[in-house]
Amino acid sequence: MTTTTDNYGDQTYTGSGTPLEGEEVVLAFDDVDVRFRTEFGSVHAVKGVDLRVRPGEVVALVGESGSGKSVTSMTAMRLLPSNARIGGAVNVAGKDVGRLSERNMRRLRGNDVAMVFQEPMTALNPVLTIATQMIESMELHAVARGQAAHDRAVELLGMVGIPEPERQMKKYPHELSGGQRQRVVIAMAISCDPKVIIADEPTTALDVTVQADILDLLRSLKDKLNTGILLITHNMGVVADMADRVAVMFKGEIVERGTVEEVLLRPQHEYTRMLLGSVPRMGAGRGQMGIRVREEVDAQAPMAIELRNLVIEYQRLGKPPFRAVDDVSFDVRKGEIVGLVGESGSGKSTIGRCALGLIPAASGDFKLLGEDVISMNRGQLKSLRKRIGVIFQDPAASLNPRLPIGDCIAEPLVVHKVGDRKSRQQRVYDLLEAVQLPREVYNRYPHEVSGGQRQRICVARALTLDPELLVADEPTSALDVSVQARVLKIFAELQDQFGFACLFISHDLAVIDLLAHKVVVLQNGKVVEAGPREQIMENPQEEYTQRLIAAAPVPDPIEQERRRRERHELLLAQGEEIAELQVDDISEFRGTISDEKDTF
Amino acid sequence: MSDRPTPPGDDRPDQDLPRTPGSGREGLSPVPYQQDKAAPQDPDRMDDVTDRADGAGADGDATTYSVEKPLDLSQKSYSQGQLVRRRFLRHRGAMVSLAGLVVITVFAFSSIGYGWFPGWWEKEYWRGGLVLDQGRPTLELWPPALGEHPFGQDNAGKDYFALTMRGTQRSLIVAFTVGLLSTIIGTIIGAVAGFYRGWIEAILMRITDLFIVIPALVLAAVFGKMANGGIWPLAFLLSVIGWTGLARLVRGEVLSLREREFVAAAEAIGTGSGRIIFKHILPNTVGTIIVSATLAIAATILTESALSFLGWGVRAPDTSLGLLISTYQNSFQSRPWLFWWPGMIILAIALAVNFLGDGLRDAFDPRQNRTAD
Amino acid sequence: MLQFIVRRIAISSVVLLMGSALMFFATINSGDPLADLRESNAENRDQLIAARRANMNLDQPWWQRYLTWLVGASKCLVLSCDLGTTRNGANVNTMIVNAAGASLRLVTLSVILAIVIGIALGVLSAIRQYSGFDYSITFLAFLFFSLPVFWAAVLLKDFGAIRFNNWIADPALSTTAMAVVALVFALLVASVLGGDIRRQALTFLVTGAAVFGAVFAFDQVGWWRRPALGLPLILVGALLALAFFLTLTVGLSQRKIVVAGLVTVAAGLVAYFVTAPIMADPSGWLVILGLLAATVVVSGAIGWFFGGFERKLSMFVTIGTGVAFGFLVFMDRLLRNWGAFLEIKPRPISTIGSGIPQFDDTFWAEIFDWGVQLILPTMVLTLVSIAGYSRYTRASMLETINQDYIRTARSKGLSDRVVYSKHALRNALIPITTIVAFDFASLLGGAVITETIFGWKGLGAVFRDGLNTVDPAPVMGYYLVAGGAAVIMNMLADIAYAFLDPRIRR
Repeated sequence: MTTTTDNYGDQTYTGSGTPLEGEEVVLAFDDVDVRFRTEFGSVHAVKGVDLRVRPGEVVALVGESGSGKSVTSMTAMRLLPSNARIGGAVNVAGKDVGRLSERNMRRLRGNDVAMVFQEPMTALNPVLTIATQMIESMELHAVARGQAAHDRAVELLGMVGIPEPERQMKKYPHELSGGQRQRVVIAMAISCDPKVIIADEPTTALDVTVQADILDLLRSLKDKLNTGILLITHNMGVVADMADRVAVMFKGEIVERGTVEEVLLRPQHEYTRMLLGSVPRMGAGRGQMGIRVREEVDAQAPMAIELRNLVIEYQRLGKPPFRAVDDVSFDVRKGEIVGLVGESGSGKSTIGRCALGLIPAASGDFKLLGEDVISMNRGQLKSLRKRIGVIFQDPAASLNPRLPIGDCIAEPLVVHKVGDRKSRQQRVYDLLEAVQLPREVYNRYPHEVSGGQRQRICVARALTLDPELLVADEPTSALDVSVQARVLKIFAELQDQFGFACLFISHDLAVIDLLAHKVVVLQNGKVVEAGPREQIMENPQEEYTQRLIAAAPVPDPIEQERRRRERHELLLAQGEEIAELQVDDISEFRGTISDEKDTF
Repeated sequence: MSDRPTPPGDDRPDQDLPRTPGSGREGLSPVPYQQDKAAPQDPDRMDDVTDRADGAGADGDATTYSVEKPLDLSQKSYSQGQLVRRRFLRHRGAMVSLAGLVVITVFAFSSIGYGWFPGWWEKEYWRGGLVLDQGRPTLELWPPALGEHPFGQDNAGKDYFALTMRGTQRSLIVAFTVGLLSTIIGTIIGAVAGFYRGWIEAILMRITDLFIVIPALVLAAVFGKMANGGIWPLAFLLSVIGWTGLARLVRGEVLSLREREFVAAAEAIGTGSGRIIFKHILPNTVGTIIVSATLAIAATILTESALSFLGWGVRAPDTSLGLLISTYQNSFQSRPWLFWWPGMIILAIALAVNFLGDGLRDAFDPRQNRTAD
Repeated sequence: MLQFIVRRIAISSVVLLMGSALMFFATINSGDPLADLRESNAENRDQLIAARRANMNLDQPWWQRYLTWLVGASKCLVLSCDLGTTRNGANVNTMIVNAAGASLRLVTLSVILAIVIGIALGVLSAIRQYSGFDYSITFLAFLFFSLPVFWAAVLLKDFGAIRFNNWIADPALSTTAMAVVALVFALLVASVLGGDIRRQALTFLVTGAAVFGAVFAFDQVGWWRRPALGLPLILVGALLALAFFLTLTVGLSQRKIVVAGLVTVAAGLVAYFVTAPIMADPSGWLVILGLLAATVVVSGAIGWFFGGFERKLSMFVTIGTGVAFGFLVFMDRLLRNWGAFLEIKPRPISTIGSGIPQFDDTFWAEIFDWGVQLILPTMVLTLVSIAGYSRYTRASMLETINQDYIRTARSKGLSDRVVYSKHALRNALIPITTIVAFDFASLLGGAVITETIFGWKGLGAVFRDGLNTVDPAPVMGYYLVAGGAAVIMNMLADIAYAFLDPRIRR
């Protein structure tokens, strides 16, 4: 494995755009090495990482799961679990983190270096008000006290774009939406005017339009406050949107570094190339990554799904029922892939579950493969289910951990009493071959294979009975991009081979763009727009669809900058605001900081 | 506190609703977390950031730079059950407890025999005799020797070893019967309630609520008095009381497993309810069931002996550990051994079973494993 | 929130009703109420049987008898209970009223002690996970969890009552005993405070020496028969309390709050002399409560006055310190009266009963009269139920510590103290509230056992006698009080739950 960090001599590391001698650096990792001592031996998570962040600069640390990128960042906070052995040196705002006393380290945290975490849902304490959580770090670091701290907190919430900040202060985290919570976390992070912010997958848990807003907000931090940002992400689109410089991590090592243009447009290292090659790009249409979909769908093919005015409601105690799906109509023809797109809460998964007969419909018509599901009895439903396959999102949860993989795949055959033991086994072998897994996994257990392999097993199980319709609910969103590419490829090949109809549910527009023939866009349980892929993706008519498509980032910094401008224009045209820090100059921001602020 | 029906999927309207206290979904099952099935389960196959050089995967991964863990088919395959067994056998505390429990059980049943099965200890527990040396115990630790009356004699000259062994037998029979019966009842009712919900669940929850207002011991006392001294009726009636806790736990587990995607997948391919419950759901609750069965056994030992102590459990002429303590509590000053032996045995059994349960919990739930052992 | 609590009470009432039917049915079928008379050789046997049959309405079907009881009991809602009579015609109402006080005092005290001590131990062992302290607490929890209550009670009766009474007659401690006490304390304190080996060793030595010295001094001055705290010890205690509350909240860095606390201690000193005549022999609990209220008001005012920016925190610290001061003064007075009590009752802890009937002496001696009797049964019940609380709290706390928001709190630069006390503890307590309801019920059951062993004429005895004579009225009376208390306790737990978790306050 070749790396650009081979020599640790005088020149610590190379790569264009790295800070020169004498330039100010707010965060520096020097040959950082982390091992975790576990009861089963030592795990080498980070192997000699060098990285610098200058003020007003975003450095992206990119890698897939297990690459050690988060562990690297936590060394700067010194918040790793006690079984970690850390080598090398980390320097934050001129202080050597390894040599600080615990007391001084606490003064550093939040004050000089702050963090923005991935999950806004769990990053805030559920039993304390926003006010308490906002104020405590300011009082701790003597930025402001009492009423002054409260005022500054209100001001900060306003700056990060939270409406009616005074009122939100009294609320608890669960009363805010995910995007608002992430804004609160960002407001908390900048409250003590840190020199550097570590943002660990700050937008991964958010919807794509919210993600674009939060990225705009973070970008304005570095511009207006001159804060350095270490951005940790696996999303190449986010990198292209935000970063000035990029370091690519693989298995604990930085394998490539450089400016964002260098790395994303002219990748040198094989891993980076592979990674970039695995990312489906918005607007690039068909044929990426060698994935081919049969384009011609017989316009007269019989219907696989016919939905007319479908309504699905959830009963709630003491409240009117919640309408998750409201008056939705669309069709899926045999041999066709229909992409169901929407953000969280749009009702897309609910429709998928209804199609599987897991949730009853409140009203409307629902015909599956030409038969009316709503009026069906149990026996008819069972014979219909034989003709439908399903793939779910979470590869960890979708296989019964107690059954060997062979049994998992053969389950539909057993349930529908197809064939004998021998023929079932043969069928499983054939399917394993089709999803490119060796026969030997037949007797293995789900916990022994990786997530991508499990998802391939789910694909095999879905195809066991040669279904005419496949419902795929976010089948690749829990996977790393390189793994996702492989699963998508296998999926496309099998669709081509078997010609099943498919309802493909996803929040990822690029994936839909790659696979679907038709696209249905959902928002709050209603269909916003529906039509052929080209029409929706290239010429969307509805404002929401336009915003949705404009918000999806692409892994190309130049292209992404153009898209971002277009998006801002679109937002302004639609009368929306562009998210940014509502502060004119830095003195206004620092004005409320008390003179007693902790410095040491 | 009828629980709001929770719709599945990510479109759940109000995920932030709290878990109702007492609904059995507070996350306080003795197996605190359903183990993370995605986490590496086996020490030998830690995640992909280990030092080990990884060649091309055996499944033909084309690229060397995949983060996907290569499938190593040279490793021996372990099922979940085998992994649990391995972890359990490595749990020192549980192993010591198991050994202790086995020794006590073997002694209790082999010494004085059971039914027509003769024992090696020839003295009868009901037969009095000459009181030797004021009835002091003759047990010698080193060199190990039982002597004439290892646990001493009571004031009527009865051999206290035989008496204690008889009491231990009775207590063990009641405890294990209740453990078994209440586990079966609780599992079935809990699974049915959690799976079908509706009125079965409502009734179950009200019955378990009963134990908030009636102390279990009081109900057990009334039932114990109904049993009229026989150990089998006593065991049966205690099982009728004892199943509710487990049923709550199983119901909670089933509720959360129902939302798991593999159950949804099974349902979607047309699997019948029976097969889903017995093939997909219950095998995954085995941890909860076994752990709480052990806890039920420990609790029963204590309840039974307390009932016998108060006179509502096993009655003379038969004997039990609680009854022995009750009979001889006033001899504490003069013949303390009459008091110590049965108490220590109750304590030893309860402690061993509780530690066993702890070991099982650790084995089923590796996330709580102790790293610094 | 109100809706939530009302719904819970409604459900509890339904359950209470269901349970009463079950209890009634099970009780009357648990044996033959005429058993003793059938075996009797009295001449008027048949008359006696007929009388009892009439008294207990044995000729009616069970549901009719149940309904009669239910109608009587439901009058409790309008505060005129009619719980029926025993088979001998005694009024159950009076029986229950006489018995309930002592029993509920016992159970409530045990619940509160168990919750406080159990949660504290659980939190400490979670924070010091895998330390010697954690392992010892875990082991002890298992031990107490597996301990037969009745056996422990008999043991305690022997060691705690009989041998203590022997010892207090001529109290003297051997050097070995003192050393053991000092050793235990030192180990405990060192492992709780933690730190590296050197710090722990230092803590160990200092604590050990201090405790040994104190015990030795107590022994020398005959403290065991004539105990007192005295003003210096009260002051030291109050300062320690101040330090504790400061550490719990803001640390020593906040000058203003430290000053407020010191002023509170000074005010306490003044109050000590001012209230001395009242405290010598207060006329009743109302006086004590009034003084407590005054303490809270005065110390709260001090906190408000000196608080500056953090009024709330400052008031918390001063009120805490003030109440601690008051408590120490109270204890000092109480201890000073120990000698007088010993004069009246040379063997202070009786093994039977809950107090001397018609005991009449000073306020302090009266506290000793029932208080001393309460110690042993409370200890038994508390020990058994501490185990459960500490285990649950530990598990809950460990789970909370691994949450994301704890990481967020640490990343702000908060110290461990604030992270644990402000961010983790409250979240960890939420699931514990559920346990309280079940635990209270099991303590009521445990009280039946302890009351039997310690010979209390409490509710347990009413239940026991009723069940033994297959007489439903006293059993149902017991059930009503126990069930009602459990429902109230449950409601308190629900309120605590709603207080801790804003997600259900809506």
